Amino acid sequence: MNTKKLKASAIGKHAVLIALCFLAVFPLYWMINTSFKPAGEVFSASLWPKTWTLDNYRDAWNAIPMARMIGNSLLVAIAQTFTQLITSILAAYAFTRWNFRGSGIIYGLIGLTWLVPFQVIMIPNYVVISNMGWKDTLTGLIVPNIASAFAVIQLYNAFKAFPKTLIEAAHLDGASDWSVLWRTIVPNLKAPIASIGILQFITAWNDYFWPLLVTNKLENSTMQKGLQMFMSSEANLWGPLMAATTIACLPVLIIYLLLQRQIIDSFVKGGLR
Amino acid sequence: MMGKKNWTAGLLSLTILVTAACGSSETNTAGGSTNAAGSANAAASGEKTKITFYSYNLATAGQKDGTQKLIDEFEAANPDIEIEGIPVASPDINAKVQADIAAGSPPDVAQLVFDGLDYIANNFGAKPLEDLVPEDELAQAFEGFSPNGLKLGQLNGKTYGLPFTFSTPVLFYNAKLFADAGLDPEQPPATWAEVKQYALQIAEKTGATGVHIGGSVGNDWIVQALIGSNGGKVLSDDRKTIEFGSEEAVGAIEMWQDMIASGAMGKLNDSEVMEAFSQGQVGMLLFTSALQSSFLTAAEAGGWELKSAAMPSFDGKPTTPVNSGSALFILSDDEAKQQAAWKFLQFVTSERGYTIITSEIGYLPLRPAIVDDPQYLKDWVEQNPLIKPNLEQLERLNPWVSYPGPNWYQIETILLEAVQKSIQSTDDVSTIMQEAQTRAQSLVQ
Amino acid sequence: MNYDTATSAMPKPKATTRPQAKQRKAFSARMRGVKPYLYLLPVVLSLGFWVYRPLLQTFQLSFYQWNLLPTTPKTYVGWQNFKNLLTLPEMGKALTNTLIYTIGVIPFSLILPLFIAVFTDSIGGRARNVYRALIFVPMIMAPVAVSSVWRWIMHPTNGILNQTLGWLGLDEPIRFFTDERWAIYSITFITGWKLIGFSTLIFSAALTGVNKEYYEAAKIDRANRWQIFRHITLPLLSPSILFMGMLSILFASEWSFSYVNVLTQGGPLGSTTNIYYLLWQYGFQTFAVGWSSAAAVVLFIGFGLIALGFMNLSKRLSFFDD
Repeated sequence: MNTKKLKASAIGKHAVLIALCFLAVFPLYWMINTSFKPAGEVFSASLWPKTWTLDNYRDAWNAIPMARMIGNSLLVAIAQTFTQLITSILAAYAFTRWNFRGSGIIYGLIGLTWLVPFQVIMIPNYVVISNMGWKDTLTGLIVPNIASAFAVIQLYNAFKAFPKTLIEAAHLDGASDWSVLWRTIVPNLKAPIASIGILQFITAWNDYFWPLLVTNKLENSTMQKGLQMFMSSEANLWGPLMAATTIACLPVLIIYLLLQRQIIDSFVKGGLR
Repeated sequence: MMGKKNWTAGLLSLTILVTAACGSSETNTAGGSTNAAGSANAAASGEKTKITFYSYNLATAGQKDGTQKLIDEFEAANPDIEIEGIPVASPDINAKVQADIAAGSPPDVAQLVFDGLDYIANNFGAKPLEDLVPEDELAQAFEGFSPNGLKLGQLNGKTYGLPFTFSTPVLFYNAKLFADAGLDPEQPPATWAEVKQYALQIAEKTGATGVHIGGSVGNDWIVQALIGSNGGKVLSDDRKTIEFGSEEAVGAIEMWQDMIASGAMGKLNDSEVMEAFSQGQVGMLLFTSALQSSFLTAAEAGGWELKSAAMPSFDGKPTTPVNSGSALFILSDDEAKQQAAWKFLQFVTSERGYTIITSEIGYLPLRPAIVDDPQYLKDWVEQNPLIKPNLEQLERLNPWVSYPGPNWYQIETILLEAVQKSIQSTDDVSTIMQEAQTRAQSLVQ
Repeated sequence: MNYDTATSAMPKPKATTRPQAKQRKAFSARMRGVKPYLYLLPVVLSLGFWVYRPLLQTFQLSFYQWNLLPTTPKTYVGWQNFKNLLTLPEMGKALTNTLIYTIGVIPFSLILPLFIAVFTDSIGGRARNVYRALIFVPMIMAPVAVSSVWRWIMHPTNGILNQTLGWLGLDEPIRFFTDERWAIYSITFITGWKLIGFSTLIFSAALTGVNKEYYEAAKIDRANRWQIFRHITLPLLSPSILFMGMLSILFASEWSFSYVNVLTQGGPLGSTTNIYYLLWQYGFQTFAVGWSSAAAVVLFIGFGLIALGFMNLSKRLSFFDD
């Protein structure tokens, strides 16, 4: 009796979860599905292409310097993630390791920057980038984003939870502050650092408005800007657009598929708060 | 406590001071050097003059190649000039130019939409051609140019922009749906009353949407064309009074409202209707002629015949087609670059230039003679007879009116929203339009 | 110019203290005092330069009328920009819409993920990982791509959604992005859809950290599942719930911005505009920099206060954490 009831509820549970997963994945599926349909079939609702074609991919690939832009996206995303992690690890360490004058205020000021909408600071920063001669360069895309308030706050929370006794033990062994950070704390906090890194990577990869403004030539821009090419106001080229978006999502998707276990694990273990 | 505060404040202000100092010194050196270096180099060593060219056609997959061809042919003919084509999507292009001017590095030539003409001339520092080019040279360059076409980029008697890619509103129609509905595909409707009658017949007999009038979102050129065709204006000739609340303007919008209320026009929006039309689900569509080639492809694939007619009239009143599209503006302050830019503009608007623009990018030629010239467009026009109603409309072409002052875009938006509100409801059009007129008038400066 | 007055009034800590620190011991002590600031320097410099500098500029510009162009004069107008904001016809709608986005996102950022997290937590091993991995997928897709795909799916005549609805007996297709009554909910849905995976993982993480003994104890006390959820799970998750709640309230409108920009541009008839989009329009389309700056200042202060409120609340609730 009891087990039956339990089974029914378990089935219900799975049904709900399957429905939600379907909702989450369907757009991705539909995007890929459409991208393989020939022009005549794009408008049909068939769940898979009746005839498969790579035409859309060929069109998309030829219309913009795709390989170059993907390369740029990767470079920018990796550079940003890396620098953001380094700068925030240093900052988080400072806040947890020492009590110093103004720490509260500085922390507050850093946190507040999270609330500043990018629409507000875009133009003034563009003027600076332009004056420094970084317009239309990857430097111009990366440099304004080497620090992230979000990363600082999240890492601070992770560092705060790190047992103080371990740090003191390392200190008694004669380790300097610097080596305590890199030899004791960071290796033990791989999970939260990784999960924050992943989020920062995704954010950097998906950034759209800043590259739109800073870069001129497609060769010097990131993948997101290339998508615009297919969303012209007068006619949507659905087939090539879906092919291009698929390509734009692909690298992150592949990384995600390969590391999916670790990513989810590091999130669940790392725990943002 | 006090000490604590001072410390942070000190550190913060130090940061700001250092960074601000960096910023401003960079500004001076970088800003100063670019302009000076540009002209000196070009003049002294015979190096290439390099021109940056912002274009939204370069940012559209289907139009990129034709535009690039223009650049390539020009560079081949002028080895001392290099054109750096930069793709900027059309919704962003004004903002990008504005940001670049603010940053002290405007593009040398920009393709900008006509509705911003007033603002471009007064705020972007667009150089009137009359100031750059001797009178006789200008007159020579404009020989063979459609006089109506030349007016498009003019403001207060000066030519700020040369018309580049532009189109007029045409009535596309689906010959197959016409035949299915028992209408003669060779006899397209000439007045809006006929359009309504035909559309209702198509809707009734075939179940397809009868007609769609595009242009109620985005830009107001079709709205201006309709208001003009009913004898109205959006702005007085002295460019001071907004007039889209007038009786004629209201009459034009009432026709539009009636199309929807009567069921002749569906409720799809412009981009949806383009797709529906491509699939042969809409009888008639008044929209930009630039869509022709994509509709032709769709018609071939879908097995129906695309035809086109001139913009219908309000019971025999003369129609006033208004152009959409863009002109090329010279923004550079450097004399060598200005001259190089002028050469580029001349090439683009030459017989050869308009041939490429018409046959490969999909817009209209402003040199009427090349249409009959076998060296240029004759063969192409014979193969693409659909462009004819479009060419005929050039004779009646009215310039797209740009609103004065910094609030031009808001005024355009107010008009479009009033139109949308009118046609999506059955409310009194004149109340809506007059309210909009009052609001817009308060934004005129 | 603001910077100059600010710095001249402040003591310059390094320059004045250096001479006194001649002795070795004193010097190394000094060094230790400087150390935390050195560690902070990269973040502080970067954020100071790339966020606070433009922000201060924005505060200043909010009292001027200007369009950023060197050719046009910058005129001081005092509080006029702020007064104009209040009387702006679009403002009421933008504020209401901001509220709709904020509330509309809550089911996706709090309620659904909470249930998914609890459900998956009680499922073992493989299945749990598969569910979590799939639910996370929207998070990794780029907003521009997401906009395009949903526009395609929700297309009135060709979209799979309307075709399915039509097949189920709906007469007229729903115009998800062009019907005034639907547009804002469509955008809210997409914004929320993108969030589910992220929130789910946050709640899952929090649940993993929960001591399972609480549940055992509750089961021994014969508490039913709802009671366990209500009296154990919910309180234990309250810091995470608060965190996600804060994120939703502070950022719902900003998150929706990308979709508004690509899909509706604030329309039809202003039905999807929100305060960020309004700010964007004034800043980037009409170049009324004074107005957009004033809006930015109000926004920054308003959301700053909300954030402060949440911080206090979470401090008070933090005892649940242990």
